[in-house]
Amino acid sequence: MRNVVVGPLLRLVPVGLIALSVQRVVFGNHPVHGVKVQFVLALVVAAGAGGGSDRGAVAGFVLGLLYDFSGNTPLGLMALAYGLGGMTAGYVHSFTPDPQWWLACIFAFVGAAVGETAVPIAEVVTGESGWITGDLLVTVPIVALAAAMLCPLLMPVGRWMMGVKRKKWKAMLE
Amino acid sequence: MFSSLSRRRVILLVVLTCMLLITLDKHGNPVIDRARSLVDRVLQPIDTATKAITLPVERAWNGVTNYDDLERQNEVLRDQIEHMRGNDVESRSAVLEYRELLKLNQLASKFRYPTVAAQVVGDSPSNFQNTLQINVGSQQGVAVGMPVTDGAGLIGRITKVYPTQSLVLLITDPEYAIAAQVLTAPDEPGTTVPTGSTTPSGIPVGDLTSTTSTTSPTTSSTQPPATGDTGSSTPVGDTTTSTSSPLEVVRETGMLQGQGADKPLLLRFVDTSASGTSVRVGAVVDTAGGNNGLAPQGIPIGIITKVERQTGSSSALVEVTPNASLKRLNFVAVVLYVPNTDAIGR
Repeated sequence: MRNVVVGPLLRLVPVGLIALSVQRVVFGNHPVHGVKVQFVLALVVAAGAGGGSDRGAVAGFVLGLLYDFSGNTPLGLMALAYGLGGMTAGYVHSFTPDPQWWLACIFAFVGAAVGETAVPIAEVVTGESGWITGDLLVTVPIVALAAAMLCPLLMPVGRWMMGVKRKKWKAMLE
Repeated sequence: MFSSLSRRRVILLVVLTCMLLITLDKHGNPVIDRARSLVDRVLQPIDTATKAITLPVERAWNGVTNYDDLERQNEVLRDQIEHMRGNDVESRSAVLEYRELLKLNQLASKFRYPTVAAQVVGDSPSNFQNTLQINVGSQQGVAVGMPVTDGAGLIGRITKVYPTQSLVLLITDPEYAIAAQVLTAPDEPGTTVPTGSTTPSGIPVGDLTSTTSTTSPTTSSTQPPATGDTGSSTPVGDTTTSTSSPLEVVRETGMLQGQGADKPLLLRFVDTSASGTSVRVGAVVDTAGGNNGLAPQGIPIGIITKVERQTGSSSALVEVTPNASLKRLNFVAVVLYVPNTDAIGR
């Protein structure tokens, strides 16, 4: 029972709700050069960089679903985009089981870029055109850079959220 | 959980579930709608708590970084207020005159729909959605599809309704499209772009111009329209005899579409030859109304700021700058006008 209660999915939802609220209240209202920094995506890629691509995909799926529920996007659209972002960031574990902080940041940057780019592409696939414009060249780097900068701070949260314990990292190293 | 499933299976499962959910949501699903409503309710207290925690930090930061800017802005605004006081008196008298003429000619006012005032409580957190959240919902009579305005003009329409909150899709969103009409006087010079001009709510500038210009002392010759003819599309100038040359208002109908945040709206004409004749920079654009319209006729939208003739095509690229300042919305009004379901579906 305890395993179920403290399991990753039940940690993901409350943490995701708080992250979503921070996104809506703080980052949604304070754009940087006209671009809204994506805190939820930053958390997703941090979870991916900390726990691997499968955990990143699941974190992206759950947090993306929460994003969809609270917004105007078709349910599953942000989940798909963020799932891809988390999965990409998690590929850092293909290189090393315990990545150094700067390597995690690089993969978080790439993962966030993939996740943010996937949103307008998924919108086009679902019939909501109009967002693939030259503005993406500004939006994506800013969102990705912010995610990379937040990654060292959010990676411990991401690991806890996904139930990756410290002894598992050690075991991975050994 | 993860050890029992291979990496590829997890990823495949995530992708397939997303596609299934998108398909279900696109076809409309009451369970998903209820779940959205539930998440919104759960998020409200968390948002309030987050605001309470972050507000002092935000204010302190703004106090440090924005003080000089605010002082300068304050000076500029004081100047603007002085100018606007003068404009306000002028526009009030024009509105009174307009109403007087409507009454005189037995024409119905365009704005016979009640409104519900609302406050903006949230912005879209995404870079790819132009929406905002307002603090009125189904309990206040708000329904999906209703147009939303502010003091300057149309700002969007309601796309989702919860008991105490609603989601507004802004006119700049590429998903937003509405039938609009351009009001111009045929021989109006209209080549300059008015800067910072706003129209009084509910009264299109074009109508005010035509009304005031056709005011005539020879009211004895005025012919009231036939009974039941309350179509607001009849120019006032047609029903009055003027001693001076009356300015007949020309209306061209088209489809207005958003192009994304901070970008002007794009107007496409139903009759492509129309854009080449009477549409000019500075002309007023308002809602066209009609049976399948998303909004009643006559809500001001904006002003044409660019007309670009396209080579090899009879149509022109017409850009419209909204009257409303969509970045600084605080209080808005929901017009309790329910468009028919076909219009909402579009």
